[in-house]
Order: sequence, then structure tokens, then C-alpha cells
Amino acid sequence: MARRSILSESDADVQLDLSPMIDAIFILLIFFIVTTVFVEEPGVEILRPDATIAQDLEKNSILIAISADNKVIYGGKELGVAGVGARVKQMLMQDDLPVIIQADSLSDHGVFSDVWSEMKSAGATKISISTRRD
Amino acid sequence: MARRSILSDDDDVKIDLSSMIDCIFILLIFFIVATVFVEEKGLQASKPDAAVTATEDESETVILQITADNRVLVQDEEVGIGEVAGRVQTSLVDETTPVVIRAHQSSDHGVFVGVWDAARRGGAEILSFSTVN
Repeated sequence: MARRSILSESDADVQLDLSPMIDAIFILLIFFIVTTVFVEEPGVEILRPDATIAQDLEKNSILIAISADNKVIYGGKELGVAGVGARVKQMLMQDDLPVIIQADSLSDHGVFSDVWSEMKSAGATKISISTRRD
Repeated sequence: MARRSILSDDDDVKIDLSSMIDCIFILLIFFIVATVFVEEKGLQASKPDAAVTATEDESETVILQITADNRVLVQDEEVGIGEVAGRVQTSLVDETTPVVIRAHQSSDHGVFVGVWDAARRGGAEILSFSTVN
């Protein structure tokens, strides 16, 4: 019986069967494609108010934040109350998305109300107030 | 030169999948990075137009006021935030009685949401808000 070196035997003809890995990766890929929503988050820390009757809101929405010092923020940039209307109108032209106002508990009601009116006049039909998630 | 049938060399065809795997990996990494799991909870709110509020019967409407220093008044009587739900419930004639929250513009948003929530819990179906200066 010919002795064969351990090294020489394995090297040349080893073929990994990659198809199960491809299957797994495909499943992951499809999962991520399906769950991805491209939402621009305001990117500010908001202390949301508490509510007991809150319901789940739609994931694919326009998010506009009002910080504790009454700044109106969209997508990491400060908009100002006057800029909300134009921005929302522009977004709604592409797609009829719901709008969510993420206002801080300590922000003024007046600012919230102004933002609300701006959205209404821009044609937003579904406006929600974000509350704390538990 | 030996002739070979087109069919005979079938089992030896191997597609090199590694480049496809590279592609799929790149896609996968892109989607992993781009995914944000937004989970928002909140209140669906509606504010009627001025024309609608004008036609409401003022005498039946339950008015909740929030002052600039965040005190809450139900029908002109000061109550704590915990009592609002109960007071709204007793003030409602039926479920179609309109309830209006009149919040001062410099009151806190947190108080407003608390009152809104309490009014809903108290059974207010037609709920709207207005802002006073």
C-alpha cells in the first residue's frame, strides 16, 4: 500500500459546496430587502410624552421632530416652522405618506400647533403625535 | 482527434459561484447597514376646521383648558391631570358630545398629550384642540 503524505492528499481536489451558504445568504438578503424602509430620522434626542392609548404607527412615514428648545428638525437639519410646509408638500407629491410629529414633552404647545397647521395646509391627511414606546 | 458528443461532458460543468457570492454579500451588507427599525407609537389626532367648530353647540361642548403654567381646567374648574379622565366621563352627555382642548401656546406639549390621552380614556370620541395666545 502506497503511503501518501497528509499534505499532498488534500490540496488539489478540495471543493467546498457553497450552495447551502448561498441559500442562507439569500434568505438574509430577502429579509433585509423586505424590512428596509428608507425613513429619514430626525436624529435628535426626544423625550416623548406618555400616553396609555397609543397605537402602533406606520413605519414608512415622514418624521418631524420638535426638540425641547422648540427647534423643528427634519433629517438631522433644523427646518424652522416656516420650512415645514414646503418640505411636507414636496414629500407628499411623491407619495401620500403619513406624517408623525415627534415633539418633546417640554416643547411649547404653540410650536406644535404651528407645525400642525403647516402640515394641514400642505395637504397632509394623516398626522400623528408620537408618544413613548414601552 | 476524438469527437465528443455535446451531451457527454455534462457532469463536469462547474459554475464558479464565488463572484456571485461576492455580489450578494455586498448587497446584504448594504441592506444590513441601511435598515433602521423604526417603531413609532402614537396618537392619531384630528383638528377640525374653523367652520366646523363654529357650528358646534357651545353649551354641550366639554372644554378642557391648559394654562400657560400647565394647570388643567375642566369646565373652568382646576383639576389634577389624574382626575381629567373621570371628569370628562361625568361631563359627557353621550359619546357624540364634542370635547375641545384649549391649550395655551406656551404650555408644555407633554401636558397636552396627557390631557388628550385622559380625554380619550374618559370616552371622548369627538376630540379637537385649539391654541390660545
